[in-house]
Amino acid sequence: MNYESNRGPDPFTIEVIRNALTAIAEEMSLIVMRSARSPLLREAGDLSSALTDSDGNLIAQGRDIPAHLGVMGSTVQEFLKRVPPEKLEPGDVWFMNLPEAGGNHLPDVKAIRPIFAEGTIQAYAVSLAHWADIGGARPGSYVPDARDAWQEGLRIPPLRVFTQDGPDREKLDVILANVRGPEEREGDILAQMASTYSADERLQEVFSRYDAATVRAAIADLHDQSELEMRAAIRTIPNGVYEGEDWLDDDGLGGEPIAVRVRIEIHDEEATFDFSETGDAAAGPLNATPFTASASVFYAMKVIAGPDIQPNAGCARPLSIITREGSLLHPPLDKPVVGGNHETSQRIVDAIFNAFEVLLPERLTAGGSTTSGLLLFSGRDPRTGQWTTLYEVHGGGEGARHDRDGMCAVRPHMSNVMNTPAEVIEANYPIIIEGQALRRGSGGKGIYSGGDGQVRTYLINGPEVVMTSMVERCVIPPYGMQGGEAGETFQITLERASGETTNVAGKAHLRLEQGDRIIMKTSGGGGYGTPPAE
Amino acid sequence: MSGTWKVGIDIGGTFTDVIAINAAGGEVRTAKVQSQTSDPIASIVSAYNAIDVCWDGVSDLMHGTTMATNAIVEGNLAPVALIATEGFRDTIEIGRQNRRELYHLDVTPKLPPLVPEQRRVEAGERIGPEGQILKPLCEDEVNRVAGVIDDLNVEAVALALQHCYVNADHEKMLGDRLTGTVKYVALSHEMSPEPREFERTNTTILNAALMPLTAGYLDKLQAGAGDTTNIHLFHSAGGMASIDAVKERPLTLALSGPAAGVAAAGKIAGELNLDNAIGFDMGGTTTDTSVVIDGKVQVGSDQRLAGRPVRQLMVAVESIGAGGGSIARVEGAAVRVGPDSAGAQPGPACYGLGGARPTVTDANMTLGFLNPDRLLGGVIRLSKEKAEAAVKTLSDAFGTSVHETAIGIYRVANASMARALRRVTVERGVDARSCSLIAFGGAGPMHAVALAREFGINRVVVPKFSSVFSALGCLTAELSYAEQHTVRMSSTDWDSGQLDARCQSMKDRLSAPIVAAGHDANMIAIRYIALIRYAGQSDTVEVPFDLPCDEEKLGRDFMAQHKKLYGFATDEPWQFETLRITVTAPSQSHIADLNEIAAVETTTPISVNECWFDAIGSVPTRRFERGALPTDWKIDGPSIIEDDWSTIVVPPGATAWIDPSGHLIIEAGMD
Repeated sequence: MNYESNRGPDPFTIEVIRNALTAIAEEMSLIVMRSARSPLLREAGDLSSALTDSDGNLIAQGRDIPAHLGVMGSTVQEFLKRVPPEKLEPGDVWFMNLPEAGGNHLPDVKAIRPIFAEGTIQAYAVSLAHWADIGGARPGSYVPDARDAWQEGLRIPPLRVFTQDGPDREKLDVILANVRGPEEREGDILAQMASTYSADERLQEVFSRYDAATVRAAIADLHDQSELEMRAAIRTIPNGVYEGEDWLDDDGLGGEPIAVRVRIEIHDEEATFDFSETGDAAAGPLNATPFTASASVFYAMKVIAGPDIQPNAGCARPLSIITREGSLLHPPLDKPVVGGNHETSQRIVDAIFNAFEVLLPERLTAGGSTTSGLLLFSGRDPRTGQWTTLYEVHGGGEGARHDRDGMCAVRPHMSNVMNTPAEVIEANYPIIIEGQALRRGSGGKGIYSGGDGQVRTYLINGPEVVMTSMVERCVIPPYGMQGGEAGETFQITLERASGETTNVAGKAHLRLEQGDRIIMKTSGGGGYGTPPAE
Repeated sequence: MSGTWKVGIDIGGTFTDVIAINAAGGEVRTAKVQSQTSDPIASIVSAYNAIDVCWDGVSDLMHGTTMATNAIVEGNLAPVALIATEGFRDTIEIGRQNRRELYHLDVTPKLPPLVPEQRRVEAGERIGPEGQILKPLCEDEVNRVAGVIDDLNVEAVALALQHCYVNADHEKMLGDRLTGTVKYVALSHEMSPEPREFERTNTTILNAALMPLTAGYLDKLQAGAGDTTNIHLFHSAGGMASIDAVKERPLTLALSGPAAGVAAAGKIAGELNLDNAIGFDMGGTTTDTSVVIDGKVQVGSDQRLAGRPVRQLMVAVESIGAGGGSIARVEGAAVRVGPDSAGAQPGPACYGLGGARPTVTDANMTLGFLNPDRLLGGVIRLSKEKAEAAVKTLSDAFGTSVHETAIGIYRVANASMARALRRVTVERGVDARSCSLIAFGGAGPMHAVALAREFGINRVVVPKFSSVFSALGCLTAELSYAEQHTVRMSSTDWDSGQLDARCQSMKDRLSAPIVAAGHDANMIAIRYIALIRYAGQSDTVEVPFDLPCDEEKLGRDFMAQHKKLYGFATDEPWQFETLRITVTAPSQSHIADLNEIAAVETTTPISVNECWFDAIGSVPTRRFERGALPTDWKIDGPSIIEDDWSTIVVPPGATAWIDPSGHLIIEAGMD
């Protein structure tokens, strides 16, 4: 490839600028994590950061959560459809969370700051943070039996919460009046603001070294580089049409499994993902937005074809995604979506893996615990009198590969949120962790075995606690590959203080009393290859 | 008769550096010899030979080593048995359940646990988060566990029980029982008295796993040194520790070598009255950056080593895998520098040892910075032709000229350095523009001015003895110990009496070995730092204070610091989470006083050759011998100043001179 010096910045300048922009996005995440209040952000790291160009094309991201990163660019694009750039001022920070506006679900609130240089907007800094509560019918804002979008909490259209002069107290108060734990939320809002502030400062340093035209040219070139790399990656997959499917356990209201189906057409350097055959929108909160579907496709293509491609908007250019209006992946605006973000998004990846299982088995892993395995405990801590909510995700076994066993107790694919240490849980919530152990033997057998899940036992240590579950793979087990066996499904057990034991559904809401136990057994991974005879 | 030499030695992976001063007469000797990786004692002997001293002649040996680091990185660790609370033996295998790589299915998502299942033992006991005993540890259980451990037949045991940082009784009971039957025992409440079981347990296991190796080495060292030499080791938090202290806590050696370099940078910053400074240590394969704020080397307790969490106080060093040996390559349509490195073998192309791919050093050679007529370290002759041929492979790919390409590699390397430097300053809330840059390591002084200009830093210091910098840090270090403990006291529930008592007892315990070494207790410098956060936050803010602790002032200082770091502060209640204390023996040596025998002074350059500072064209550049420069004589760029081990680039617009302290100062100016 030849580089002509009159074309724009040279490849070295572009690389210098890329380094600077990536560092800025990484620094944003660091700042949220260090200064936020809620354990979900500071302990578990459920947040992401990105920079986009003035049209909302992703230019750099921190090393965060795949489910988030796919929606950062579309959030800015949808924001700009609603707020004309003329309305934006330096120092503004706008907050929004509408799923239909480039988003995923209400708890993931985005803070957007326009970055000005040479008198015009050059970029946007976006800080996404999962708020531990966004209001709605249940603490933690997960309503497994929700039937409409409003039950899921506060819907924030683009709202200018900060200006150059500081916070707009009235708007802030409206938000805080509608969420549980307003003190904690206010801290999180300030942390998100602080991260966009630092991005602004750093970008000003970049613009003091390079004029805006050079930076824009460098960004355009970075997009082109990623596009080329994605095209080269698609070329490694033979032309053809590949169909795959996977199944949601249910819609949250106890219904039947729902199909997620994909028809993938690979044509030279381009790929089309058609989800039209996917089932209709769910009555309950398992719907996912088309933006979430794009995030899943983007993730799957990276792991299958180009893990090292620089993630930016250029990667998406050779990819087309079709979702059918009214379907699970393109629901009507009044449908609830909270679980779709991290459950249905994982089904999409599994469906894509299923489509490629025969063709590219060596690039895939067998089925894993592709769910958040989410348990939300909410209750008053008798020690402080404060209302607290623990948002805890549970990893399980990873699926095996053609060359190794799956690993135990890990978060596969679209999420990478950590657990909360038992010692931190016990110090902050009315809960005792009685043990955390591997669920031995839960991985599917194969030439290589799936990883084992884990067992964590929660003893309720306060008078009034409610629990919500949002867990998949309770019914449909993680699949084996190339003849490998499936892993064990999730199993949630309630052991009442009285000794009575019942099974808890994957999407449930229940009241717990002092002395009750919840025993969370997470799924094992699927095996790879027909297991040798004993 | 006791010796008169005080010796600082740093044993690194490739070289062992030594610097020694004679108490009688002040003579200074330095040398750099090949490390004997299989036998560190031989490295010391060979360093002694190089400066012509013998064991009998050495009164004090201060010693930094990468032994512990290498053992961890290479996984060369002793088998350990772990004792955990009932229900928690799998904690180290579950970990934090996140995966290392987001998009690579070919990489295992987590590291395997440090202790395999069959050596993980559970003890029937339970302590709650406020230290309350939920299930007592009974005598029978202690004996049962001891029996199981006995059957495992291991030398080292790590003990990590839930919530031991608020109540250590159970760990102590088990620890006492095992002492005598097991040779090495590490207790987690001593290693890292803070919550988060996975991280604390890993830290404790790593310590236990290093104990046999370290004890063996230190015994041999003591035998070699005999009774005449006092031996101290350089610990990761930036000071000297006694042999006995290190045997108990070998993990404190985890960053021994880099910490000694950082300590030297801190010392120089202090002697030159620089409030804030950045240590910039660029070597062949890695670059370490560190920060000195208000004359204090910054430490932290939340770091990783070879992917494993290590929770103990260590100097805050941001390490990146880029250095002089980093390879520049084409990736798709883009250029990347590192993380692949040519290492020491084959090394950069210009070493002529078989390397053909272009490295940062080859770019520097192509630009004319390195001297082809001088033997690197007196041994390796550098080839300009080979460097240019390697760089040309890349310029062919991009259609750029060889010099454009070399400048490009130089700039991209600086950009990744800048990223590391940015992290280390941002995390501390320091504005890099307020700092001086202290450059050392083989490649540091070549990139320092360019990097300084990137940040708007005006002053660069290239210290004397920079080629044996970590050894210099050892030689001039003080005895110093640091520790931190969980306090968890709310501003609304303040008990200054309890806090003062706690400070006092921690201070007394940490000071004891310093007093025992003959120092006046009243002369010991003590630093109290409160780690404070708002209720609900994770990270704490460091706020120094004095005894008796004034709560109101502490609150004010916390808010000011929080605002500085995060851009906001509120007047809501806060929590004194952790107490950190550093005790340091009175300072006895000054780097400014160390002087080698001066060469004959001259202002005549060794040579004048063409150097490229931009892609437009070359300029004639004078080359000087550092050791021959008269004090305070100003050298304007473009110039190169060199010695056997390092090359200092003074680009056009910059001015350099030797300060009366002996350090070389560069005003970076503008390009």
